[in-house]
Amino acid sequence: MTGSSHEFQDIEEATTALQSQPDNKTRRYDRQLRLWAASGQSALESSRILVISASATSSSVLKNLVLPGIGHFTILDHASVSHSDAGNNFFLEGFKSIGKSRAEEAVRLLSELNDGVEGKADTRTLESILDTQPEWFATFTLVITHNLEQTILEKLSSLLWSDDTYPPLAVIRSAGFLAEFFIQFHEHNIIESHSETSPSLRIDKPFPALLEHALSLDLSSMDPTEHGHIPYVTILVRALEDWKKKHDGNPPKSYAEKKEFKQGILALKVKYDEENFDEAEAQAYRCWSETKVPSEISALFSDPRLASLGPTSPPFFHLLAALRDFTLLPPYALPLSPTLPDMKSDTNNYIHLQRLYKTQAEEEKRVFKSLLTVPIEDSLVDSLVKNAHALQIMQGKKWGTFDSEKSALVNSLSVSPKETSTHLALSALFTLLSRQPDIPPTEEALRTEIQSVIGQGVELPEQLDDALGEIVRAPTAELPNVAAFLGGMVAQEVIKIITKQYVPANGYCVIDLIETWTGVIGN
Amino acid sequence: MAAAVVSTNGVATPSDWQDRYHHIDQILDRPGPRTDPSFLAGDEVKDFLRNSCKILVIGAGGLGCEILANLALSGFKDIHVIDMDTIDISNLNRQFLFRPADVGKAKAIVAAEFVMNRVPGVKVTPYYGKIQDKDDDYYVQFNLVICGLDSVEARRWINATLVNLVDPENPESLKPLIDGGTEGFKGQARVILPTVSSCYECSLDMLNKPTAFPICTIANTPRLPEHCIEWASVLEWPRVHADKKLDTDDPEHISWLYTIAAARAKEFKIEGVTWSLTQGVVKNVIPAIASTNAIIAASCCNEAFKIATSSAAYLNNYFMLIGTEGVYSYTFEHEKRDHCPVCGNESLEISINREWTVERLIEMLVEKQDIQIKKPSLSTPDKPIYFQSPPQLEEATRPNLEKKVADLVADGGEITVTATTLPFNLSLRITYT
Ligand SMILES: [Zn+2]
Repeated sequence: MTGSSHEFQDIEEATTALQSQPDNKTRRYDRQLRLWAASGQSALESSRILVISASATSSSVLKNLVLPGIGHFTILDHASVSHSDAGNNFFLEGFKSIGKSRAEEAVRLLSELNDGVEGKADTRTLESILDTQPEWFATFTLVITHNLEQTILEKLSSLLWSDDTYPPLAVIRSAGFLAEFFIQFHEHNIIESHSETSPSLRIDKPFPALLEHALSLDLSSMDPTEHGHIPYVTILVRALEDWKKKHDGNPPKSYAEKKEFKQGILALKVKYDEENFDEAEAQAYRCWSETKVPSEISALFSDPRLASLGPTSPPFFHLLAALRDFTLLPPYALPLSPTLPDMKSDTNNYIHLQRLYKTQAEEEKRVFKSLLTVPIEDSLVDSLVKNAHALQIMQGKKWGTFDSEKSALVNSLSVSPKETSTHLALSALFTLLSRQPDIPPTEEALRTEIQSVIGQGVELPEQLDDALGEIVRAPTAELPNVAAFLGGMVAQEVIKIITKQYVPANGYCVIDLIETWTGVIGN
Repeated sequence: MAAAVVSTNGVATPSDWQDRYHHIDQILDRPGPRTDPSFLAGDEVKDFLRNSCKILVIGAGGLGCEILANLALSGFKDIHVIDMDTIDISNLNRQFLFRPADVGKAKAIVAAEFVMNRVPGVKVTPYYGKIQDKDDDYYVQFNLVICGLDSVEARRWINATLVNLVDPENPESLKPLIDGGTEGFKGQARVILPTVSSCYECSLDMLNKPTAFPICTIANTPRLPEHCIEWASVLEWPRVHADKKLDTDDPEHISWLYTIAAARAKEFKIEGVTWSLTQGVVKNVIPAIASTNAIIAASCCNEAFKIATSSAAYLNNYFMLIGTEGVYSYTFEHEKRDHCPVCGNESLEISINREWTVERLIEMLVEKQDIQIKKPSLSTPDKPIYFQSPPQLEEATRPNLEKKVADLVADGGEITVTATTLPFNLSLRITYT
């Protein structure tokens, strides 16, 4: 076999090169590297985040981004610290900070959290930058606003939406115990979604080496200890092949056939306590779950960008095109995953099976690479092949679009009444505050505004009373606990966007911290 | 600008300046639609929160740091914190009250000082030690307890202690317990009203079962890198080092295990033994990030604030968050368990094979998901069956391990289970099949 010397070298390398103790940086980030690995960490470290205003909420978001180690942050805020700011923001020094630049104080105290992060205070006004230097926003990876005045927020959101060289925008709003956030992005592609569904083991379509191995076993005259260690994958491939021979090449189809197949597996036991056969019976469904390209993945193949693929297209679409082409070849499936789950077995049987999968996965990866029309770094190819079954292209929306779609709002009100009510109440609050900043809105005024947004005839759910009552109670209250909660929620979504790992929320994430629930609407 | 000057620790600091609580007072000055009628809006509730409410925080780690900061900003002024740990460099990615220069110092002490410096007028009293060092007289002084722990054992202990503290004649003896926990992008927060609502022990079966590898796999037929690491730590370390205890916080010890595990992996052609995996397996490392801790700690403190002030309805009673795929959360009422050994009043019915030995029964008690008692001692109402300690009693009762349970306890008879690590008794009613 030609691959064997190469394969041997791999094992040698993988099992002999001893690592030394981790350095201080690795130790510091150990608990998060276990979630997003070095690739996620390096994405974080090259990110530049712009936060507009140093409110308690904004500072909380930043705290949760500075600690894991983003590259840079800028706080844009021309205000000085007020008495009330000094009382609710942990990243101001209480009484001592009053009257000082809010941006500078917050940057100074946030920077103490991590030497590896660069922080900058910018005391210009957002208006002036929007007017004179809009391209400045393109130097950031992501922009975050909290309780930004409606008119200027609309201006900022339109600018960042106008061209996809501008970064995503996270919009946070809160009043008392109620809050929501929305992340505006055009599109978000994910390879490492960390999906909990596992890729196919191809038991129904075994690759030649696996089939050959399964057929080579002489189950009846095998040593009993050996028999008790055959991995379930091998048992199933073998049992399915034997079944197909007796059933015109068909797998078990009806309920009765499936039951008979399972009984057949248990009948292969030579001793009553052979757990590997019990496991095979439990996993027998794999024999009739057909290995094919999942519909969510084949849907991606119709993306128009695959048709117009060129040398300057993003690597993601080159990989996707190669994946599509790969699935047009037999066995018309995604590339085999090199990882084999653990199963009842012993060392030799398991490792042998693992090698079969690894060798085949290597071979399929080679085929996959040959279909790529541009060079792409190996680590990205590896990652794509491993995660091919869970790729995602998320389409985002512009902030505020939802509020202009009456039918979507009405539908959402009936499907998710409390979430939609809370969203509408917050939107109405900011609309009214933008018209008359110094007048606390009344419940009546809010209700009138909401009715005009969703249409006069539409009945409002009773859940709206709860939301409106709280808004009127505390229209400008930024509670420390709500700020901290939002700080965690938004930072978590921002991390997912920056690292392109895990799946961010799409839509308005609405939060009620009285009954303590969250819900996503408007996606 | 009216800034009152008060004295804490003998140092004059301006505290409670005008508008300091501008944000929170919007909530405390008037009720909302979901506020209980008993709410005393205005000065009375502010006075209670800021001058008399006493709150205990258990744990000054990932959740604890966040909890202390949030409570201080919320207006709690008399905060106590217990933690037995010292600061490690791997804490610094999330435990934001600590700096590299603090590595090695006591978490509770450093965290308390930091919060007192940052938030004027707040008193944080640290205790560097175990929760078990304190008795009922200590716990009874608090109005509320918030738990940010990573240990199941410690949570069971404090839960049982607070349940035992409840005296039906005295409403003050009921101390709401707010518990938070996180793992990676997931977490949960809950409110426990001891004896009234479902307690920590009631939900024991919701915990993930810890992965345990059979010893024969580790010794004879390893397949995974984890098997090689377990071999190094469980079998090789004690064989080579005899009485020297394995310290999983010592990088030298981890390095030794890693080298041994890597050699075994090579012998069996197993791939994937790394330094980081070795540490992860032997220390049972749980991934942890600042953002998840922030969410859960904020939720816990928000409940504490609402309970202490009655300013709004509070969580009933369990909030679960999964942030790996979008933002998914689930808020629900976890029901009390009738047979809860802590807050239930019925004994647990257990049906076992007539042939079972005492040893087999003990095995079951250790493994059963809703029991999980590590070293159970067993007795009938009139005589001991098996005691784990003291040594003399252990020796005297050891012969019973091989006896059949049926020979010691009648059908329908009762067995009381105790464990030194847990302050409660579990009563079993045994029937035979
Ligand atoms: Zn209970």
